[in-house]
Amino acid sequence: MMENLSNLAMGLGVVTQPYNLMIIVVGLILGIIVGVLPGLGGANGVAILIPVVVVMEPTAGIILLSMIYWGALYGGSITSILFNIPGEPWAVAATFDGYPMAKGGRPGKALVLAFLAHGVGAIFGVFILTFFAPILAEFALKFGPAEVFAVMMLTFSAFVGLGGKSPLKTVVSILFGFILAAVGMDIVSGQLRMTYGTVVLMGGFNFVVAVIGLFGLGEIFLTVEEGLKVEGIKTRIGLKDIWDGMKDITHYPKALIMGTLIGCWMGFKPGGATPASFMAYGFTKQASANADEFGKGASAGIIAPEAAAHAAGTSATIPMITLGIPGSPTMAVIMGGLMIFGLQPGPMLFKEHADFVWGFIASCWMGNVLGFFVVLAFAPIFASILRVKFAIFMPLIIYVCAIGAYAVNNRMVDVYYMLMFGVLGYLFKKLDYPIAPMVLALVLGDMAEQAMRQALIIGHGSPLVFFSLPLALPLMAAALIIFFWPVIAPLKAKMFGKKT
Amino acid sequence: MRKADIWVSFLFMLVGITVVVDSVRLGFMWGRTGPASGFFPFYLGVGVIISSLIVFYNALSRYKKEGAGGPLMPPGALKSILWVVIPSTAMVVLTELVGLHIAAALFLAFYMRVVGKIAWVTTILVAIIAPLSLYITFDKLFLIPLPAGLWGGYLLRF
Repeated sequence: MMENLSNLAMGLGVVTQPYNLMIIVVGLILGIIVGVLPGLGGANGVAILIPVVVVMEPTAGIILLSMIYWGALYGGSITSILFNIPGEPWAVAATFDGYPMAKGGRPGKALVLAFLAHGVGAIFGVFILTFFAPILAEFALKFGPAEVFAVMMLTFSAFVGLGGKSPLKTVVSILFGFILAAVGMDIVSGQLRMTYGTVVLMGGFNFVVAVIGLFGLGEIFLTVEEGLKVEGIKTRIGLKDIWDGMKDITHYPKALIMGTLIGCWMGFKPGGATPASFMAYGFTKQASANADEFGKGASAGIIAPEAAAHAAGTSATIPMITLGIPGSPTMAVIMGGLMIFGLQPGPMLFKEHADFVWGFIASCWMGNVLGFFVVLAFAPIFASILRVKFAIFMPLIIYVCAIGAYAVNNRMVDVYYMLMFGVLGYLFKKLDYPIAPMVLALVLGDMAEQAMRQALIIGHGSPLVFFSLPLALPLMAAALIIFFWPVIAPLKAKMFGKKT
Repeated sequence: MRKADIWVSFLFMLVGITVVVDSVRLGFMWGRTGPASGFFPFYLGVGVIISSLIVFYNALSRYKKEGAGGPLMPPGALKSILWVVIPSTAMVVLTELVGLHIAAALFLAFYMRVVGKIAWVTTILVAIIAPLSLYITFDKLFLIPLPAGLWGGYLLRF
């Protein structure tokens, strides 16, 4: 505990250097803009900036990337409350009460409530990150290849069993991601795989390009299809709004605590932020004495989902930094940024690059605290970005995406891939194939394959190695139970139904 | 909608088959030093074939029972999407010739003026300022060279 605190103090020392502070503010502002614009979410914003970050020093670079993430989380609330357009899936639940309250004449108060709830949820998430991540990393040092593979299975099973989409389509999406990752040179034997004699395919597919195409262009095609009509509520945040917001948040401690805890718990699981925000909203509504006020601008209906979404967003950092398994596409891209610096996230990172890890954790503290003030001060300005005509910023986004896709590897073919991934992302969205698991599979593909092959070599070819005690067996069992949850859940309901 | 569902799952099956074929070529059994190169992709391919076959079957049987369902896109949407896809593809192709920034300037101007019907002044200002500032930021400040194309080097000489 004390050691963590002194490490954190060291990290804060790094982060409060003037240059890094400047990066934090710039990153937050960029992130909020990215969060406000449709078609550019956290994952994209980070992906596009990776080429810029590469020429920076690692600590500053990762601070910039993570600030864009925090900024995008804050920015998402602005659009959902003022425009009823959730910039990110986890901001959807915030529109239920946020937009009605804004429409009812209190847009400033709605924003303040959202930001406060965000802030509290995030700080609690970072608190857990600070004290829990080192313990988890220490534990994960005991993992061998079989355990690493089992943890990955657990991650992907969570998408299949708990993702809420069609389990079969999720499986297809995951396997397709793994296949894309396998294209090109085999890391173990050096043989060329699935290149079919072409030179272009030898380089394989880079997941940053996939992210830019799938999330950036795919989202733009969807927005174009819906024909974006922006009808926002104009606002400025006065002192009275801030005062009322602070008063209200103390009136609903239950909503705040429930949201935060659900968020932290769900954040560990991949893709947790979105279900967390809905769950928090639902639970708070059920527990509330005046549930019929929900949907008409209830304060608790803003607090709970916002706290949950942001707490989940922060606690999603924990599996990424300790196990090397990103819980969300944005985390995957941030992890990709780390890997470009030659920093492999995972338990060894805490041992080998402690200064870097603690600088990152300290920047999460700074970013979330400063982010609150930045977003509070400039929310109306950020909101006005959305009033710029779609026909102006849409081609600009495509242009910036093209820059990002090219600069990852300095290959022109990646820009074509980006266009293809854009169309694919659109089709996936329309046909209800989830995109996030595919991106994660593409990121983790090489690692998963390597872990599996090493484990099999250790086990002399017997798949029983994945069920060895003490660690692999429970992980694998949990993975299998979660994987088959869509089949188990109805059975369980049937059995219980017969009993009662 | 369901037709598209059937087609996409069919395409996934084809992808799976090509993967399996290549894995068999590479060897999908136990090699000299452990699992061969094709081991992992082989099972991925088999998995994709099986699961997309089920998706295919489900979509097909629902198609037979309940008809095609709603259209994949709302009417008129295809046109507006193509108005984005074709110009942006054109931008990428043009990049090979004149470089990304000049191609993007043309793309911005075209989309804003022709599709978006934005005023001439705004169109020209944005189409010049945006590529210029991005050119200076990336190529000059951060020294990240972006594609110059065949003739881009001659066109942008500063």
